Amino acid sequence: MLSRVVLSATATAGPYVLGTGLILYALSKEIYVITGETITGLAVIGLYIFGIKKFGPSVAAFADKLNEQKLARLEEAKQASIKQIQDAVDMEKAQQALVQKRHYLFDVQRNNIALAMEVTYRERLHRVYKEVKNRLDYQISVQNMMRRKEQEHMINWVEKHVVQSISAQQEKETIAKCIADLKLLAKKAQAQPVM
Amino acid sequence: MNQNLFTSFNVPVILGIPLVVLIILFPITLIMPSNKLINNRLSSLQQWLVQLTLKQMMMVHTNKGRTWSLMLLALISFIALNNLLGLTPYAFTPTTQLSMNLGMAIPLWAATVFMGLRFKTKASLAHFLPQGTPVPLIPMLIIIETISLFIQPMALAVRLTANITAGHLLMHLLGDTALTLMSIYMSSSTITIIIIILLITLELGVALIQAYVFTLLVSLYLHDNS
Repeated sequence: MLSRVVLSATATAGPYVLGTGLILYALSKEIYVITGETITGLAVIGLYIFGIKKFGPSVAAFADKLNEQKLARLEEAKQASIKQIQDAVDMEKAQQALVQKRHYLFDVQRNNIALAMEVTYRERLHRVYKEVKNRLDYQISVQNMMRRKEQEHMINWVEKHVVQSISAQQEKETIAKCIADLKLLAKKAQAQPVM
Repeated sequence: MNQNLFTSFNVPVILGIPLVVLIILFPITLIMPSNKLINNRLSSLQQWLVQLTLKQMMMVHTNKGRTWSLMLLALISFIALNNLLGLTPYAFTPTTQLSMNLGMAIPLWAATVFMGLRFKTKASLAHFLPQGTPVPLIPMLIIIETISLFIQPMALAVRLTANITAGHLLMHLLGDTALTLMSIYMSSSTITIIIIILLITLELGVALIQAYVFTLLVSLYLHDNS
């Protein structure tokens, strides 16, 4: 139990102990000499570590962004292509459906033409009827006029002869009779309102 | 380990085998191209950086100049990685050796000159005379322009060498100073702060890559295109 703890502790600390030992050995035995180059090297390494710590994440994010942009461009192209093909497929399906419904169009056209023909027929029929009626009306009015003219002529002829046939003596007798009748009537009329 | 100040600039040799080849080849192992679409963070960042630098560098060139893109990109990443890796302690920086920098500068500069002379002879020769110079000055100006043309590779190589070497030397000096001043505790803290600040500015030695490639780029542009 205790040995396991000690062994694990020594296992984790092993490399660090080795590194420290080597460095100290090299320094103490003057295998590695501390010169001016050491200080320069330490300064350079310090600068690098400082630079990496400060700019590392932003540079990594930039690199990731570059890759992502590349992928996004290709993805967009792929999506555009897919969408284009899908739109073509949909349009084709719509066209096929339209072809199924084409007979409606033909029915409507047929009905339109039938209506137009019916209208034309009726119009012509009406025109014919009007023409015929016109001619017949003309004949009737001609007949009426002839009859009227004949009547007038006959009446004029009758009147003329009657007036011609009345002699002078007959005229005087008629006038005297009329006067006598009128006097009688006047007497009757006077007698009536008194009652 | 270091006897004097300049031993860190000796080419490292173990038992007569020059290790400098391995040191020059080492930065390649840090860049890992992959075939996958989505990589880990390091590869994604490297890809993004490469795209950024390539776009910035190659925008000004015509199609003919853009055939140089791989060369220029390899140049800038090589020099940048070497300089950055040389900042770690006890590291050897190959770009401190003038031989290597001359070996990089002279062939590239010569390539641009010869390309310009071959394809646009009149235009590249016309670069020697800027517009609007008064007539009596023409001979002297041509001599001056020729000298400035031939000094370009030297300038490129020596600039890079001098900058990196000076930075390293300063770091060593300051480190030694800090060490000897540690027995006098008062100033050592300020010394270390100064060391750190210098290190930060030295990491702008990476900006030297920009200077290198840009001057090369400018000369390429001028020779080749306009």
